Amino acid sequence: MLENDLIVVGSGLAGLMAAAAASKKGKRVLVLTKGAGTIAIGGGSIDVLGYSESGRQLDNPLQGLSGLSTSHPYSKIGQPALANAVALFLSLCDEAGYPYKGSLGESQWLPTAIGTLKPTCLTPLTMDAKKLVGAKKIVVIGFVGLKDYYPDLIVKGLERSLPHVAKFETVMLDTGLTGGKRDLNALDIARWLDKMPGRQSCIQQLKGKVHPGNLVLTPPVLGTSPDYQLLQEMEEATGCSFIETVGLPPAVTGMRLRNLLVRYLRDRGVLFIEQADVVAAIVESGRCQGVITHNIDRQRTYGAKSFVLATGGFFATGLRSGPGRAWEPIFDLPVQVPSDPEEWSGESLFSGPPQTFAYFGIAVDSSLRPIDASGKVILENVFIAGQNLAGYDYCREKSGNGVAMATGYLAGISA
Amino acid sequence: MKINSHTPDSCTTCTACTIQCPVAAVTQKFLGPKLSGPAMERFRCIEQEYDLSLEYCSNCKNCDITCPSGVPISTLNVLAKDNYYKTHRHTLRDWIIAHIGALHKLAGPVASLANLGMSNPISRWVFGKLGFTAGMQLPRYSPQTFLTKFKDIKQRAYPDKVAFFPGCYIQYNDPQVGLDLIAVMQANQYEVLVPANLECCGTPLVSNGYLADAQENALHNIRILQELAAQGIPILTCCTSCGLTLKREYQELFDIPGMHMVAAQTYDAMEFLLELESKGRLNTALHPVAAHYIYHAPCHLRAQGLGRPALELLDMIPDLKVTDADAGCCGIAGSYGFKSEKQDIAMAVGENLFEKIRASGADGVLSDCGTCRLQISQATGYKTFHPITILRQAYGEGRSSD
Repeated sequence: MLENDLIVVGSGLAGLMAAAAASKKGKRVLVLTKGAGTIAIGGGSIDVLGYSESGRQLDNPLQGLSGLSTSHPYSKIGQPALANAVALFLSLCDEAGYPYKGSLGESQWLPTAIGTLKPTCLTPLTMDAKKLVGAKKIVVIGFVGLKDYYPDLIVKGLERSLPHVAKFETVMLDTGLTGGKRDLNALDIARWLDKMPGRQSCIQQLKGKVHPGNLVLTPPVLGTSPDYQLLQEMEEATGCSFIETVGLPPAVTGMRLRNLLVRYLRDRGVLFIEQADVVAAIVESGRCQGVITHNIDRQRTYGAKSFVLATGGFFATGLRSGPGRAWEPIFDLPVQVPSDPEEWSGESLFSGPPQTFAYFGIAVDSSLRPIDASGKVILENVFIAGQNLAGYDYCREKSGNGVAMATGYLAGISA
Repeated sequence: MKINSHTPDSCTTCTACTIQCPVAAVTQKFLGPKLSGPAMERFRCIEQEYDLSLEYCSNCKNCDITCPSGVPISTLNVLAKDNYYKTHRHTLRDWIIAHIGALHKLAGPVASLANLGMSNPISRWVFGKLGFTAGMQLPRYSPQTFLTKFKDIKQRAYPDKVAFFPGCYIQYNDPQVGLDLIAVMQANQYEVLVPANLECCGTPLVSNGYLADAQENALHNIRILQELAAQGIPILTCCTSCGLTLKREYQELFDIPGMHMVAAQTYDAMEFLLELESKGRLNTALHPVAAHYIYHAPCHLRAQGLGRPALELLDMIPDLKVTDADAGCCGIAGSYGFKSEKQDIAMAVGENLFEKIRASGADGVLSDCGTCRLQISQATGYKTFHPITILRQAYGEGRSSD
């Protein structure tokens, strides 16, 4: 068995933050990952808390913290841990040359691909919602053939939510990539803009359509790599400010964040094993000694002093369910659910009262170790982070990446 | 029985695989793994639909590496391709590329003649007409095959034995890698057995839609290898595609008695050595090697789910600096880059890696895959080595005994 200080299972935002926090402390960290993590197709902004549990819109995340129930992950870890997590996240993005902006004291309202505004907290500079304040004229850019992205729809929505903007215009750009076998997605366009001919064509097509001082909204296409070279080039060439909207997967902004974090970790000696499907653990008297991966050839065992379980929720198979029960598949940790499946969900998926199933997950103590129904710690050296945690509805609250970042950080520090 | 159920059921259409697909990243001609794999599979369940863009799939396995839901994407694509060619004709070029293992058997013994045959202007013209990449140097035949050289080696006898599956590239083109492995294993007090009469593992047959032929090779190889596996003798590979095929492809595609036992005993050479280290059984008397190399992890190694063991092993050599390029696929994907209509794609796929290598100023490039090394050296002009060669150097095991 190889000797590691920490094994992190999962490489979404929670797992990567745990690895970052632990490696900063000088720990030898091994990340076992099955698949690339949904962070790679997500929006890349860090929502911390946009709405209270009762659905009330919050001015900022801090305002909402005290009102959360005691079983909410933020209540478990406390505000100082959340603040430290934000500080670490911002500092490592700075260090990697792709700074994020934002703070817990302020929500940012990001324009989306359907023309709504969505609350978030930390964003890359390409998504600086502050630029919307005081904007006189907004030009919404679309690309011929880009799937599910309609500038007219965006304008229709924004006219309602940004009444101070005097004028909206739309511009359609042509990449010349259409006519191939598949629809264009944002990533295709980002790759087109990565290369000089694409950039030049884009700037050329914008000439006369946008004017210095305009605010330009684009889909998330401003380059694939975590840097701001393309943003700066576009802003200099046009004299306009640019904002990337929140788009559908693949949203590119998430891919940039993942690439940044993975590169940061590899540079600091964190080891990764891809295609590592962790199926079981070796536990002796309340401590995990190792985890077992199941590959098609044989099983392999990896040992460490402590473990972070960041395997995601039901969608990512970090949690499993059957009629009347739910469980965590690697350690077989308990997941409390009503025995009558009728009580798991309500009729209105998103618009009604909170969904019971959204709160399903692993119950933990204040240092994120799993606990049983009586509150007793089940595993001394295993820490839970991200969406497999009980007690929050990321979709309703807009808190998904925030919980992942904060609990990942604390798990990595504690482990 | 076959390990895989071959259903697209667990696909949530999240697009993660399409994002990481190196081919889809550089061309719109390929639908991408999600659409050509699990999405099209639903239609193929009803009628024989074949998406011709599937020809652009290089079977590099990045889709499988990326999928968070364990969908057998590359296998769905391999099966669809094979099905199509049950009723359609392959090109002569594809037949040649797929059956390169069988052709080697004819050409290998007359290496110099074969090299002359491949490199003269007339045959280059013929190859071009057939659809082989014009600028690409076809791998040259070694004057002597690995097996011929192996017979001349006098190994020290040890009770611990491993078997070596050389594969076509080491057997016919680059026998030195196999010789280096033997020197390293000898330095670790292992005796290396090399079974005679092994066939090509079948990777090019699988990738080009010749599953029936691949199955014949699999049957033959498993018959030989299972006798070794049954004795508990580990089977080592120094080619990550051979390794992946013995471990995984046979089990996913075929139903052959003994295949699981063989898979369970098959190790990538670097993986095996690293396991020795964790058991305290590795010879760690390594001499300094004052050099800087940049390492490229082959996709077919990453798909094996065992990390990058070469990096951890080489880290033990004093004075040696190895940086991980971590720049994705090199583009060649075994036989893919030798096809003229795929050449531009193969080079564009590898461009990230090539740029990183050119900027590294390293003394050379290390990679565990023979065709990756070929692609890299042709694109960058850098010298390339299998990591085992550097390890041998560190053991101070000279080449005098070759």
